[in-house]
Amino acid sequence: MNKIIAFLFIGIGFLVFGTSCKKYLDINDNPNQATSATPQLILPQALTTTASNLNAFNSYGAQLGGYMANAGGFGGFGASISYNFSSTNFAGLWTSTYDNLEDYQTIINETEGQATFSFFNAAARIMRAHGFQLLVDAYNDVPYTDALQGANNLTPAYTDAKEIYKDLSDQLDRAIATIDSGLAGTGVTDLGSSDVLFDGNVTRWKQFANTLKLRLQVRANGKVTFNNTTFSSDGFLTTDALINPGYRRDNARQNPKWESWGFTATGSDALKSWIPNTFVFSFYNGVKLEDPYRGGAIYYNFPSTGTNRLGVENNSIASSPSGSFWYPSSKNRTGASAGDTTGVLKGPEAGMPVLTAAESYFLQAEGVVRGLLTGNAATLFNNGIVASFKYLYQLPDGTTPGNPTADAASYMADNSESPLVNFALATSTEQQVEAIITQKYIALNMVNSDEAWNEYRRTHYPTIVNTPGATGTQTFASSVSEATTPDKLPTRALYPGSEGSYNSTNVPKGISVYSSKIFWAL
Amino acid sequence: MRKIASLLSVLMLVCALAFGQNRTVTGTVKDASGNPVPFATVTIVGTNTATQADASGNFSLSNVASNARLTISATGFAAQTLSASGNLSSIALTRSEGQLAEVVVTTAGGIRVRQKELGTTTTVVKAESLTAGRAVNVAGGLQGKVAGMQINATSGGVNPSFRVVLRGQRSLTGNNQALLVLDNVIVPNEILGNLNPEDIEEVVVLNGAGAAALYGSQASNGALIVTTKKGRRGVTSIGVSQTTTIEEVAFFPKIQKSFGAGGSAYGYDVNGQPTFSAIENQSYGPAFDGTVRPLGSPLENGLQDSAVYAYNDGHFKFWEKGITKQYDVNFTSGDVNSTFYMSGQYADVTGTTPGDKYNRASFRVNGTRKVGEKINITYTAGYTQNRYDITNQTGSMYANMLNMPSNVDITKYKNWKTDPFANPVGYYNPWYQNPYFTADNNRSNQRNDYLTGNLEIRFTPLPGLDLVARQGITTRNYSNKNTVGAFIYSEYSKHTESSSKSDIAGTVSDGSSYKTQLLSDLFAQYNKDLGDFSLSAIGGGQWTQNQAKYLGISATGLVVPDLYNVSNGVGTPGVSESSYKARQIGVYGDVRLGFKRFLFLHGTVRNDWVSILAPENRSFFYPSVDLSFIPSDAIETLKDSKVISYLKLRAGWSKVGQVNLGNTDNFGAYYLLPTYSSSASGFPYGSLAGYTVDNILVSNNLQPEITKGYEGGFDLNMFSNRFVSTLTVFSTKTDAQTVTTRVSNTTGFSNLRTNTGQTQSQGVEVTAHVTPLRSRDWNVTFGGNYTYLDNKVNSISADLPRLSLATYGTDGPGSYAVAGQAFPVIMGFDYKRDPEGHVIVDQLTGLPTKSDTISILGNAVAKHKLGLDAGVKFRNFSFSVLFEYRGGYQAYNAMGPELDWAGTGYRTAIYNRERFVYPNSVYIDADGKYITNTNITIKNGNGNNGFWSDGINRDVTSNYVTSGDFWKLREISLAYDIPESVLNTTKVIKGIRVSVQARNLFMWMAKDNYYTDPEYSDAGNDNNGIGLTGIGQTPPSRFYGATLSVRF
Repeated sequence: MNKIIAFLFIGIGFLVFGTSCKKYLDINDNPNQATSATPQLILPQALTTTASNLNAFNSYGAQLGGYMANAGGFGGFGASISYNFSSTNFAGLWTSTYDNLEDYQTIINETEGQATFSFFNAAARIMRAHGFQLLVDAYNDVPYTDALQGANNLTPAYTDAKEIYKDLSDQLDRAIATIDSGLAGTGVTDLGSSDVLFDGNVTRWKQFANTLKLRLQVRANGKVTFNNTTFSSDGFLTTDALINPGYRRDNARQNPKWESWGFTATGSDALKSWIPNTFVFSFYNGVKLEDPYRGGAIYYNFPSTGTNRLGVENNSIASSPSGSFWYPSSKNRTGASAGDTTGVLKGPEAGMPVLTAAESYFLQAEGVVRGLLTGNAATLFNNGIVASFKYLYQLPDGTTPGNPTADAASYMADNSESPLVNFALATSTEQQVEAIITQKYIALNMVNSDEAWNEYRRTHYPTIVNTPGATGTQTFASSVSEATTPDKLPTRALYPGSEGSYNSTNVPKGISVYSSKIFWAL
Repeated sequence: MRKIASLLSVLMLVCALAFGQNRTVTGTVKDASGNPVPFATVTIVGTNTATQADASGNFSLSNVASNARLTISATGFAAQTLSASGNLSSIALTRSEGQLAEVVVTTAGGIRVRQKELGTTTTVVKAESLTAGRAVNVAGGLQGKVAGMQINATSGGVNPSFRVVLRGQRSLTGNNQALLVLDNVIVPNEILGNLNPEDIEEVVVLNGAGAAALYGSQASNGALIVTTKKGRRGVTSIGVSQTTTIEEVAFFPKIQKSFGAGGSAYGYDVNGQPTFSAIENQSYGPAFDGTVRPLGSPLENGLQDSAVYAYNDGHFKFWEKGITKQYDVNFTSGDVNSTFYMSGQYADVTGTTPGDKYNRASFRVNGTRKVGEKINITYTAGYTQNRYDITNQTGSMYANMLNMPSNVDITKYKNWKTDPFANPVGYYNPWYQNPYFTADNNRSNQRNDYLTGNLEIRFTPLPGLDLVARQGITTRNYSNKNTVGAFIYSEYSKHTESSSKSDIAGTVSDGSSYKTQLLSDLFAQYNKDLGDFSLSAIGGGQWTQNQAKYLGISATGLVVPDLYNVSNGVGTPGVSESSYKARQIGVYGDVRLGFKRFLFLHGTVRNDWVSILAPENRSFFYPSVDLSFIPSDAIETLKDSKVISYLKLRAGWSKVGQVNLGNTDNFGAYYLLPTYSSSASGFPYGSLAGYTVDNILVSNNLQPEITKGYEGGFDLNMFSNRFVSTLTVFSTKTDAQTVTTRVSNTTGFSNLRTNTGQTQSQGVEVTAHVTPLRSRDWNVTFGGNYTYLDNKVNSISADLPRLSLATYGTDGPGSYAVAGQAFPVIMGFDYKRDPEGHVIVDQLTGLPTKSDTISILGNAVAKHKLGLDAGVKFRNFSFSVLFEYRGGYQAYNAMGPELDWAGTGYRTAIYNRERFVYPNSVYIDADGKYITNTNITIKNGNGNNGFWSDGINRDVTSNYVTSGDFWKLREISLAYDIPESVLNTTKVIKGIRVSVQARNLFMWMAKDNYYTDPEYSDAGNDNNGIGLTGIGQTPPSRFYGATLSVRF
């Protein structure tokens, strides 16, 4: 008995020690998550995340740019209405944009020098330029040259904003050239279904690149010396650039704007603490301009839509209906089935606009007015208005009920006395720019609101009244603004606190939300 | 084997020749109850020849002359001298009087060692002390009883979780909790909350890294060695007991009692008072006036809710009296060859949160069996199942409740199904749900089954040599179902002013998981006495495997109401799956050398190989050494001292490697390669997949953290053990911390996992007890334990001055590790201050300004901990009491901003809602000088549109950082044993004990703490970011109850 036990002990000992240690311990392969991914897998996700980020940028622009105001019944808006921003306000824009840029950078790194992946490389490069412009326009100098290098540079230095603009323009040229070389080569991998922006149409990618480059050069306002101010023959976008991976009424798969302001996938109300701003509403309800067409396409109960001036908090302020005032339908306001409508929210299946044809035309019009392009500014201006009608009339499935072109003509006729609509009445360059930017302001309402906020800061259009006691139709500045600027508006967002904590030697110091301006700002 | 044995006997024979007619005697030493007394010393009177009994009390002594007399001595027992030729098979020793610090304890590896041989600090908590307060949770029963140990509750509720940390925190972000060893098997810490305290024989607390050689690197945080009860030879008894405990809320946040709903946002009345609002949740309205005022909008049928506009204590009545019923039964028996212990416990708990229920049933079988002369088998098996039926919305309920003005009697809204004013449709507050509805509509059902078992075979081929094989298993089987009921509001209620009322979609989520740990040990132990020297050596190996799998599935938009099944949802169900496996091999050696029983040198070595590090880094080695010296046995003058009865000097040094990756759910597996996620931004969309680069930069070259530490101290007993004390000074430093640090997002990533930084923990642990009265009827002992702890972060890395541990919002206020500061510190926003610390206010508005960046606002680790206890025994009465104090630290109370938002916060009314000068403030005059502010008042002392509810108050973290100091009456109990003379008449009943006991009966907080128990940690069990209390925990409770136990 004892012998058996003794042998058992020795036996177990040999058995266990004899087992290969290495084999026993080599079990650290991850069964839960991928540890690599191809460009085809990263691109659709990166584009879709860009769309989500643009929703956040839209909210930021809509708050600051006079499209949204606080709704009745809610309190605690704090810096959102006082403009006394701290480093926590809008910090998400910074982190989510850099996070998204890393995905594009990964595609570029994986495809660099590989001719077969030219289109992926170019698409990622264009989207990287798009993302960095969003950052510069919100923060001015940002890490660019040193950024997105992972552990190779943990504290990236900040690049001068003008230098970034200059390089982004070159990057867009390079992307167009990469696509052209891809088209000339053989065996190039199509973007195919990975391209949830242009469905694999590389010509539209090139047009998008040209339009982004135009946006950079128009916005630079003569303050940047670009290497190349000519544009490739592919032209500019004439249709809306919409990202749509297959948005649907499903958990986390709804159009992000619908999810934020309309209804959740299960039909519960989305955020109800914001309603339309009285200021922008005056461009529809006849106070400044008469536009029952687009007003009715966007707003619920137009023209009796509830509006507010930012900052006014008392119990007379309208509260938001289920589905918000930006969901115009009066027929179906049941959360679980609502949607399929015109305007800015449209429905859970709608694509998310990255850059609309209207914006493209208004950029071109200004380009012509400022001598960056040749062409007919009036035609481009009118095309911009028509394109805005077309986008707003469109349903989620891409069909367009009604007649946007005819309604746009009626709109121009109804307001033919206004130089803001009738381009012929805008004679000076300044008046023309005001007309273009104001129409762009109307066209970007809750579409790409941040672009309108950028253009306001660059041009100070649409015109607002700065005198004390200005009403909510005269200015979109908050009634409880603590800003010390003449227009009572802040000039920029602060760098997020994380930069102060984790990149403190590089982050620019002494930034003020009331006096520090983006380099192109007026 | 037989050959070796005979060779050894040949050697002994040679020695024996000198004495002629000598023989070998064997015997067994037992106590009065028949339990073996381990390690008794057996000396031949008049010689230097002695031996030591083994752990089972067996001894063997050769060369004993037939007429020799033997002295058998053991610590804690009176020595006995008897003839070597007598019957030695059952030598019964009687316990000597007095409390002795020096006893035999079961330490690492199940090795029983005399405490005097230990060169490191060891604290023994015996069963009677552990269960004095009848805590359902073992951790609750340990609170305040051990120097150097800090126990924090990390949740309230029906089964609170506890975080047990010894000697402060070492790892910045890794595990700092003490290792839990149950019957020699390492088990997850959650087992502590699922053990039947009645099953526990003793808990041996190893404050330092002393157990690391035998249990591996996890023991670098100290260890709790829990030994469950075994049966006793020759004693058969059955015990039953019943305990009923009542739990009630003992501390409420301090609220203002003067103002009700409304605020300046609604305008002012003719008297300048802010206007009342019937629907407002914020209490910034006019002062209470005792009139009846409406509540909410009229219902669709025109009915109007109302309340008297005066303070009502309904807020406090919301929390109910919880009742715990605990039933215990145990059976113990034993004969010459085997012992048997069996127990069962059922605990049924209702909590202070309305509707929260919990029950736990546990069952245990322990036994030993002797097979032949050389084989001992030990088995232990414990099975526990618990069931929760609770709400998972305690935090939001609490917030809902605080957002009810204090004139509203909350308890009126209990019957929301039948009462139209309590139903969500008609409930007066459009912004915050009825807390009773929240509790009923958000349920969490969880079930856990735990099995822990251990099987040990000990083979003793020859005296002094043991070969031990041991297999342990701990497994947890878990499932849960969380549900949210669908609720459809009426159109009227949604479209009156109640714009925040929105339909609630029904959701259900199900999860299931298992987690299994296998632990195999194989070691040899050799004990030998060589004249003045003794040797005890252990060598062995250990294999650990941890495996777990987690599945989760959820559905929203339930179609058929109340059918809580994941197939009943709309849209794509949410699914998740993860599995983990990690392994470790350890090889160790442990040698203890004794000289003349007063000097002991102990050294250990261990090498580990782990699966979770890269092959080139997976092996690491760590040694330790400690020394124990007993002057009271070594120095002649001390031996006979009337003053000093026992003095031990001890010192130890150790180095331990610990791989701090991951957590107790994933064991740190798969942390070395970057990952790509497939579910970002809603992916996949049908057949379209999309992946994103995850945000953590990983290093494939991670190394173990290395902790080096030393400790030294003494144990001193005086006046026949009427004074018992210990003192220990310790210091540890931990280098190459494995941390996941935040990095600038502009790198493309948010975090970097790397080895960097050093922490340090230094302190003093003292215990002292005095027994002034000891007689046949009386025994009075009092004393306590004190810990001084200096826990610091020495460095993190050159680029990173600080590391966030637990924060509210990204990079917001919270608990941080900061180089050169206490570990951790509370950081957050403060007001802008002048160089002397006065708050700078605006010269016109009188308003202060929030600082731009977060700064250090307090030290979150208690510098001083004190436990004071007393025990009085008078005849059949036993009384014990325990107080605990913690001090020298601060806490951030995340509840504060919520209270001030709601306007129920006490602070909001300290200026009676009038204009006020910000205290201790200065303004800057035209010359840029700081001028003391005595007259610039803040215009609006109201909230809602004024100071209190605004970010300028609520976002300033320092407003809610309070002293964490507290005193608690931790435990108090009184027990009475029915005298044996009475029981003897029954002939069946051997003992009856009745007792009343209470825990946390009273607590005294710092004056500025209006909020809650600073002992809570909002960050959870596995997070080192202590110092935060939140709204997710129910208010602190006191427990009191009574027990009846009967032994047959």
